[in-house]
Amino acid sequence: MFLNSVEQLLRRKIVLTACIATVAFLGLYWWGISAASSAELNMGNGQADQAVAMLGPADAALAAIITAGPLAATLVTALIIVIGSSMLPEEIGQGRMPFWLSLPQTRLKVYLSIGLAPLAVSYALALILFGGILVITKIYFPFIPRNIPLALFSMFAWLTVVWAAVMMLSLVIKKIASMLIVFFLTAVASLFGGLYELMKMFPGDAPEALESVTKTIMYIFPADRGYRGVIYGLIPGDALVTENLAFFGVSASVPSAHLIYAFLWSIVLLSIGYWKFRRMDF
Amino acid sequence: MEKDNLIRVENVSKSFRKVQALSDFNLAVNSGSIFSLLGPNGAGKTTLMKILLGLVGSDTGSVTIFDLPVSSPLSRRGVRYLPENVTFPSWATPAILFRQLERIRHESSVEEFQFRCKELECLNLMKRPLGKMSRGQRQRVALSLITSGKPDLVLLDEPSSGLDPGGRILVRNLILSLASEGATVLINSHLLGEVERVCDTATFISRGRLIAEGKLDSLSRQTGLAYIETDNAEKMILSLEERGYSCRKESKGVVAELKDSTEFRSMTHSVLDTGIQFSGINQMRESLEDVFLRIMDKDSERGQDIVS
Repeated sequence: MFLNSVEQLLRRKIVLTACIATVAFLGLYWWGISAASSAELNMGNGQADQAVAMLGPADAALAAIITAGPLAATLVTALIIVIGSSMLPEEIGQGRMPFWLSLPQTRLKVYLSIGLAPLAVSYALALILFGGILVITKIYFPFIPRNIPLALFSMFAWLTVVWAAVMMLSLVIKKIASMLIVFFLTAVASLFGGLYELMKMFPGDAPEALESVTKTIMYIFPADRGYRGVIYGLIPGDALVTENLAFFGVSASVPSAHLIYAFLWSIVLLSIGYWKFRRMDF
Repeated sequence: MEKDNLIRVENVSKSFRKVQALSDFNLAVNSGSIFSLLGPNGAGKTTLMKILLGLVGSDTGSVTIFDLPVSSPLSRRGVRYLPENVTFPSWATPAILFRQLERIRHESSVEEFQFRCKELECLNLMKRPLGKMSRGQRQRVALSLITSGKPDLVLLDEPSSGLDPGGRILVRNLILSLASEGATVLINSHLLGEVERVCDTATFISRGRLIAEGKLDSLSRQTGLAYIETDNAEKMILSLEERGYSCRKESKGVVAELKDSTEFRSMTHSVLDTGIQFSGINQMRESLEDVFLRIMDKDSERGQDIVS
């Protein structure tokens, strides 16, 4: 059933478009990075030029990854929201759900098999995108990433939260509404995720209300923590500007408890979705 | 596997908000029969079929297939279902769909699928995407998919939908062929002519209640008419009218009224006495359509009595 759903997803134009966009994105990134690697940086100012001269390939890699990361993340998030919100409603709307459920398999198996396909496809695409960014950057600006396993684990946590939220909502409200809500949540979580990083840099300086709102959003929609874990895991460990990472929205690290919480929260969302699916009449 | 009382429905009720779809419904279906669910739109036929497959949960009562509760996926082993309005992906070919289906059910081989396709005259469509097929072709492919192998129970919701007369004959033959292979077939259809030709048992449902059930022969009554098949209809009418029968010409023969049910024998003698050549004579029974209208009229009268 899972393979059937993946097979069906891969035939969809939106997935094909995302694949083409991935190839185009990586192509442009390659072109930009190769051009940057051979360019002579001149600020036209004695002190600035001295500062630039101090920066090594790791710093260039850091700048490149922090610039490309959000663009790649937007592409993957958009894909998982669009395909994640349509899988189950489409099977129901096309009248195929009674057919699948009339076969000797449990509802849970049908729910997860159909639902997991968008997560698998999006995760594969995210691996290609972020893996591509890493490889291309390393070719032109050799560096050692901070923590690849953390990046992989964080990527899974980030995508799982978005997927679980959109799948659950698509069973409760209309497909378009579920997409818009999750897009909105992702944007808000991303904004407050950045603020959280700044607040960590200047503890006690932020108004209490803002701190509370930021933490509440992090608990309600913990996808952003995963995304920041990906970026943190990929960036060089030996760059000179790491003390300023918070300005780029990347903390010194993402605690594993945050990522585990994201997984647990996804399980809660999935369970609510399944509870609704189990009670549905087809 | 014990196959008597293959389906057992006991005191099942189901309502959708304020609409009572089924009310204290009981039904037992034995194996090997070709069974039809008949009733007007909204009577509860599709709901019953969906309850049998666990697609819709009942509010009260119990439903078992092969003595297993329908909530268990095991009760759906050997059970095949064709929903009325299923739309398979337009890019998929029958071969791909069969492969996808067998990944889940593991109940039939490619050869068995091809055999069914041959039976339904769609073997030449194996590599054509469904999006490039006519509605009738898609329906025949869908029927081949769900009936391939050796199913124990086949539930068909409007199986002749979208089919031309040739296609309907193929479906009719398929149903008879499934029954001869030992499958029990449950049909939900509004095409009473089709149902009459293949089914041996019928259940009439109205307003969520079972109002009549039984073998088709026992449900249809004698009409008090006899049909004589002859090429000399005019001559036959004159001769029988001379003997006191009221007659009329109909298609390729003569319809004569019988005064009572015991008169058929004496009428046969009268026909023989005329000396006019005829190829057959039989007592006319109600068609399934007549039975349906009679039972439904009686039920609506009963409903009105209850209201008044």
